[in-house]
Amino acid sequence: MLLVVLAFAVFLLIGMPVAFAIGISGVLFFLQHPELPFTIPLQVTVSQTQNFALLAVPLFIMAGNYMNRSGITESLLNLASVATGHFKGGLAQISIVLSALMGGVSGSAIADAAMQSRILGEEMTKRGMSRGFTAGVISFTSLLTPLIPPGIGMILYGTIGQVSIGRMFAAGFAPALLLGIAMSIAVWYTSNKRGYPPERAKRASLAEVGSALRGGVWALLFPVILLVGLRMGIFTPSEIGAFAVLYALFIGFVVYRRLKTKSFIEALEISLADVGSAMFLISLSAIFSYGIVFERIPEVIASSLTSLTDNVQLVMVLIVLLVLVAGLFIDATVIIIMMTPIFLPAVRAMGGDPVHFGVVFIVAATIGNFTPPVGAAMFTVCSILRVSVGAYVRESLPLMIAIGLTTLLLIFVPELILLIPNLLFG
Amino acid sequence: QEKHILRMNHVHSPVEAYHSAFQEWAKRVGERTNGGLKIEVFHSAQLGNEEDIIEQIRQGANIGQNTDAARLGNYVREIAVLNGPYFVDTLDEAFALSKLDIVKKWKTELADKHGLQVVCFDFVQGKRHVFANKPVRNPGDLSGLRIRTPPAPIWQESVRAIGAAPTAMSFGDIYPGLQQRAVDGAELTYANIRPSNLQEVIKNVSETGHITLINFEVVSAAWFKKLPADYQTALVEECSAAGQKVSKVLADAAESEKAALVKGGMKVTDNVDLEAFRKAGDAAYKALGLTEVRAAVYKEMGR
Amino acid sequence: MKTLYDYVLKLEAILAGLFLMLMVGLLLLGGVARMMQHPLNWTIDLATCFFAWAVFLCADIAWRKDMLMSLDLVTAKLSERYQRALLFVNYAVIALFLCYAIYGGTLLAWTSRSRTFNGIPGVSYSWVTASIAVGAALMLITTILKIRALMRSDGVPCTAAASGEVA
Ligand code: NA
Ligand code: NA
Repeated sequence: MLLVVLAFAVFLLIGMPVAFAIGISGVLFFLQHPELPFTIPLQVTVSQTQNFALLAVPLFIMAGNYMNRSGITESLLNLASVATGHFKGGLAQISIVLSALMGGVSGSAIADAAMQSRILGEEMTKRGMSRGFTAGVISFTSLLTPLIPPGIGMILYGTIGQVSIGRMFAAGFAPALLLGIAMSIAVWYTSNKRGYPPERAKRASLAEVGSALRGGVWALLFPVILLVGLRMGIFTPSEIGAFAVLYALFIGFVVYRRLKTKSFIEALEISLADVGSAMFLISLSAIFSYGIVFERIPEVIASSLTSLTDNVQLVMVLIVLLVLVAGLFIDATVIIIMMTPIFLPAVRAMGGDPVHFGVVFIVAATIGNFTPPVGAAMFTVCSILRVSVGAYVRESLPLMIAIGLTTLLLIFVPELILLIPNLLFG
Repeated sequence: QEKHILRMNHVHSPVEAYHSAFQEWAKRVGERTNGGLKIEVFHSAQLGNEEDIIEQIRQGANIGQNTDAARLGNYVREIAVLNGPYFVDTLDEAFALSKLDIVKKWKTELADKHGLQVVCFDFVQGKRHVFANKPVRNPGDLSGLRIRTPPAPIWQESVRAIGAAPTAMSFGDIYPGLQQRAVDGAELTYANIRPSNLQEVIKNVSETGHITLINFEVVSAAWFKKLPADYQTALVEECSAAGQKVSKVLADAAESEKAALVKGGMKVTDNVDLEAFRKAGDAAYKALGLTEVRAAVYKEMGR
Repeated sequence: MKTLYDYVLKLEAILAGLFLMLMVGLLLLGGVARMMQHPLNWTIDLATCFFAWAVFLCADIAWRKDMLMSLDLVTAKLSERYQRALLFVNYAVIALFLCYAIYGGTLLAWTSRSRTFNGIPGVSYSWVTASIAVGAALMLITTILKIRALMRSDGVPCTAAASGEVA
């Protein structure tokens, strides 16, 4: 596996597209294992496209592109400008709110990042924000999405660790709020330092708010309809993406009448390249993960870790650090499946609360989706916004610090997480 | 001494009895072969989904998979009959299947033609019941209910036969599917419920017992052939032993799991019209052309 | 030859767009049918089959438009001669990988022919696995054309990915 990682680094340095670099270096693992059929890399690549969770990615990319051309984005942004335009970096703040809203809709950080890259990305750069900052904000703030129920990470953790999923769901809200506030401060800090101008000099008047609300009613209705649809059991999360596309088309063709055959085809053409660059990479990264799982690398490292100290909070800090390191290479789902059965019993044995640990663990695991060199949300955002990974990382630092400090707070003050589930479930 | 590794993949979570059973199998085989044949167990389908793994096994990978007759029916059509409604009634009937000539013939065909070596099929998960948000006494009560079913023809037909609308969905989607009412219920064993916290989203169980799920442990036939004879024997014998043991554990656990669920507020419907369900179940065999296959197996069983 | 390839590219774009739109339609149909208490299981199966094809066709489109993300931390600082040399190395390794993907993908489609697709009787999983072989073949053509273009030009082609240009 060491050879694989080295080859990956070399390929990246000579400027090979990340998709090929990850796939080709992953294949090297199979050269070292002649007992495995050499078709496995291709089989796992195809399997990624049969994964329901990833089915949402192309749909939300398309939804984003059609919202741009249907006029929904414009009225949504107008509304955002009225509401937050007097803040510095207003649109970046909107990205935070939108990620929380999407939590109730898709539950997937990757789908959220994919859609926001298309609806907010260019608008943010047009308002003078750097590409790296834009990509960083859209990517890292989608951390909120899996914390608002129904998040697939919580269901996985609850199932593997035999922890009440209802409790996990209830426990997600407060940390999401805290993380949202912390991210908002980080965004404000950067915008202030960079002098990203507010869009308007002063707070919007009531009349302006009213007119923006009337203009934006269809855009606002969108997340509401999706949420209601989901709650009423009309759609499963995988169908919500398709509904989002239909809704954007309906508004574009029928309500605003901004969408014409020509712009319909243009948006589809852009979607083709977007889907190709994001999904090809995500598909090929399965080759790389196969070797990591096969050699049980996370398990080997993890079992040595929990023997270091018997202070449950310190152990949680160590676990978070380890999960972050693993998250550089592996995405959240794989981390949760592989590490829950190792860490949770250790935390339980030290008297830790499984719901408290679970939320912290899921936050740390989800961050793996955003960190280079391998992260599905990062890949999606950076390839759609054409941002180099270096700029993305540099400009995400304030957000990473905000998330890191909040995570420490969540570790050392368990009540923040446990208050709501304890109130609801006793 | 020859060294071999088998990586055993299954979809169950590490807290379920199956996982411990596979680990016990691994331990015993390791002891009997002095560490010559090492089994590494991968829970929660970490190595990949069942269908992918079966393909890898067929191409000779040293991987094993816990699967069922429904999926093996993709290769040897007749074998799916073992997954049909009300096919066997007791554990002993299930354990005796491997001694029937007709079943041995299917096993040989799986190995010779399709590269799939069945190591044992003594892992019985128990009787499956209908878990839904309304009580079910006869097939008519299931009419219009969307019941989550694994995506294999015999499953789909079995559930359709007993009156429901089968809805294919992966196991992990059951919880959100029920919570968001994308389905009205699922057909599962008692032991399936609490490990996946499904009691949080289902309140009724109707004891239809419509399928007794028998699992098969399969490995690559090419890989199996290369093992020394004593390794092969150890692998097969310990598989049966671990399987029969966990099947009994699960059968006993059904009662205690049921009690725990009832205590948690689950309502049990036990006055189910089993005769009506049995009769309805015949339609599944007809739909898949397995009626004669079933008759042939029953004849050999002396049933 | 040139015109034939143009037709192939047109077909590729039309099919990829069609597959994406069909995914949307099928998922909606499935949701509505289930709401009406008539679950249709084949809709999601067909949608994921189209998904596989859409991904690998779109991958070729993205590759041709130089929209696959890469790092340019080191390469951007090198002289043009080295950049050209590295590009050749990249294209050669990628072409080799694509040859493997065509061969392995074809073999996979052949071995998976008796595996039913999500348990639908009579529908083989080969319909899904064939997508990677076809996609890789298209990408190999794209790569060869890139190599040819590089040989014909003197400098380094200014790719969208390297220049940070907006798509
Ligand atoms: Na966001
Ligand atoms: Na990462």
